[in-house]
Amino acid sequence: MNPSSIPVLDTPESLPFDLMRVPGLGQLFRWRYVRPLLQAPLLVLSVVMILHGLFGPTLAPKNLATTLSWLHFRGILVLVLLCAGNFFCLACPFMLVRQAARRFLKPQFTWPRPLRNKWLSVGLFVLILFTYELFDLWSSPWWTAWLIVAYFLSVLVVDGFFKHASFCKFVCPIGQFNFVASVLSPFEVKVREQDVCTRCHTKDCIRGRRESISDLVTIRGCELALFQPSKVGNMDCTFCLDCVHACPHDNIGIMSRLPASELMVDPLRSGIGYFSRRKDIAALAIVFTFGALLNAFGMVSPVYAVETWLGKILHVSREAPVLGLIFTFFLIVEPVLLLGLAAWLTRAWARSPRALLPLAVRYSYGLVPLGFGMWLAHYCFHFLTGLYTLIPVTQNAIASLGWPFLGEPRWTLTGLPANVVQVIEIGFLVLGFAGSLLVIYGLAEDDSPEKPLRAFLPWAAVCLVLWCASLWLMFQPMEMRVMLMSG
Amino acid sequence: MARRCRLRSNLAGVVCAVTLLQAGCSRPVASSAFVAIEHEISPEPVRVGSATIILKLSDASGKPITGAHAAIETDMSHAGMSPGFAEAKEAEAGHYRALLQFPMAGDWVILLHVTLPGGTKLERQIDVKGVQPE
Repeated sequence: MNPSSIPVLDTPESLPFDLMRVPGLGQLFRWRYVRPLLQAPLLVLSVVMILHGLFGPTLAPKNLATTLSWLHFRGILVLVLLCAGNFFCLACPFMLVRQAARRFLKPQFTWPRPLRNKWLSVGLFVLILFTYELFDLWSSPWWTAWLIVAYFLSVLVVDGFFKHASFCKFVCPIGQFNFVASVLSPFEVKVREQDVCTRCHTKDCIRGRRESISDLVTIRGCELALFQPSKVGNMDCTFCLDCVHACPHDNIGIMSRLPASELMVDPLRSGIGYFSRRKDIAALAIVFTFGALLNAFGMVSPVYAVETWLGKILHVSREAPVLGLIFTFFLIVEPVLLLGLAAWLTRAWARSPRALLPLAVRYSYGLVPLGFGMWLAHYCFHFLTGLYTLIPVTQNAIASLGWPFLGEPRWTLTGLPANVVQVIEIGFLVLGFAGSLLVIYGLAEDDSPEKPLRAFLPWAAVCLVLWCASLWLMFQPMEMRVMLMSG
Repeated sequence: MARRCRLRSNLAGVVCAVTLLQAGCSRPVASSAFVAIEHEISPEPVRVGSATIILKLSDASGKPITGAHAAIETDMSHAGMSPGFAEAKEAEAGHYRALLQFPMAGDWVILLHVTLPGGTKLERQIDVKGVQPE
C-alpha cells in the first residue's frame, strides 16, 4: 500500500492511544526498575519449574515444568502478543540472570559480522521444533527442565562474550517467534513527536544516557540497534523500555497502531533495513508460518500413519531420519513450490518487474498473519482445554513438600470444553486468513498499481491452500504419542 | 576470604535445599517384593473409548490375594488432560476387574494404587502405548 494513500486525520480522535499515558501504568513503565520487577517473578517460576522438572513427578500432567511450559506459558504468550505486544521479552527471566552476570563479566567482543542476521536463529527455531517432536518434550518434565537450564546457559555464554543484546537479536528462538508475531500486535514502542527527535542532539535513546564528567553510561540506549526516530514496527523490539528511560524528552510511548500495518509498507527500518531485501527475515516468516502447520501436524493422528509409511518405504526404523524428511518437505520443499509458483504467476500475470526471489521474499511476509492464526489456534487449544490443570498440579507439588495447606489435588479440574475451544480456534484461523489477504492485497496494490488483482490472486490462492490445511488439521483427532519408532 | 566463605555457605545451602526438596518429592512406596501384579487389558490394541483391565494379585507362593483394594488412575503422557479414575472390583479370588475410559488416542499411563488386606500400599505404573483412534 502506498503510504501516501493512507488518509491522515488531525483530529484528536485519530491520535494513537498511548499506554504510557494511562495513569499508574505510565508511571510504572517509566520507573527504571520496572523490568527487574516483572522479571523476578518469572525467574522464580523458572527455578521452580527446573526443580520440579528434575526432582518432581516423572509424569508430565503432574509436573509443573511440563504443565507450565507447554500449556500455560505458550498460551499466555500468544494471547498477550495478540492483545498487546511483545511483553514477554520485557519480562524475560533469562535477561535478569544476564544482567546479574554482567556485573562480574564484561563482554569483550562484538557479534561476528557474518552472523549479524537471522539465519542462525532460523536454524535454532527449526531445531527447537525438531527436538520438540523427536524427544517428545511435552511428555518429559526432565527434558523440559534441561531445556530451560540450557536456555539460561546459552544466554550467559553468548551475552557473557558478546556485547549488547546479541542473544536476543541474533540467537534466541523464542525471541524471533515473538518478533515475528509482534508485527501483528496492536501496540508499538514509538516516538510521540518526530519534531522533538529532530531537535534532539544527544540521541540518548540509542547511545544511552551518560554521566557528564566520567562519560559512563548510566541508562542504556537500545541494545538491539533500533534508533527510535527511524524505527518502524515491532521487529527486533524487545519492549525493554531502555529507550523510554533514556529519552531526556519523555518522547517515547507505547502507542496503538493497526496490527500488521507494518507489513504493508517497506521503508528503511532502523537496525533492520528493508524487509524486501532481507531474505533471512523472510525465511524466518516462512518457518514461522509453515512451522505453525507442521507443529500442529505433529499432534494429530495422520502424522503417525505418514511416519510409518515413510519408515516402511525407506526401510528405516529410527524416527530421526523420518522426522527429518517430514521437516524438509514442510519447511523447504512445500514453501519453495508454493511460493515459487505464486511468484512465477505474479510475474506472468501482473507483469511485475521484480525477479522471482525478490517477489517471493516480499510476499512471504503476507503469510505471517495466517501463521500466527495457526499458532494461536494450536496453543490456545492446549491452554484453554487445560486451563485449570495448574491448580491440582500446584496442590500436588506443595503437598509433596509436606505442606498440604492447599488441600487434596483436584485432578478433575481441567479447562474449557473442547467444543467451545474449537469455535475460538476457528475464529483465530479466520482472523489470520483475513489478515493475510489484507496484507497481500496491500502489497499487490503497491507492487502492481495497475493490476493489483492479478498480483493478489496467486498469493491469495497460497493462503487459501494453507488455510484449508489449517482447518483440516484442527478437525483431526488429536493423538499424542511419545515414540513411534526407536528414537 | 570472607566472600569465599559466604559463597561456600550459600552453595552448601543450595545443595541442602535441593536435597531436602528431592527427599520431599519422592513418594514412599511399600515394598512389593512378595506380591506379583499381572494385568490384562482388552481390547488389544486399546482403542478410544472404554477398555477393561483385569489385575491378578498373588503372593510369593502364587496364592491369589483376596480382599485387596485397587484404585486406578489413567493419565495421558502429556499435560492438560483430565485423569480418569476407577475402582477395580474383585471378580474372582485375586482377580480384580475395572472399566477404564480412554477419551483420546495416544500414549496413556495407568497408575495402580493397591491396598493389601494388611494395609500395605503398593503403587504400580503400566504404560499403554498408542491407544488407537476410533
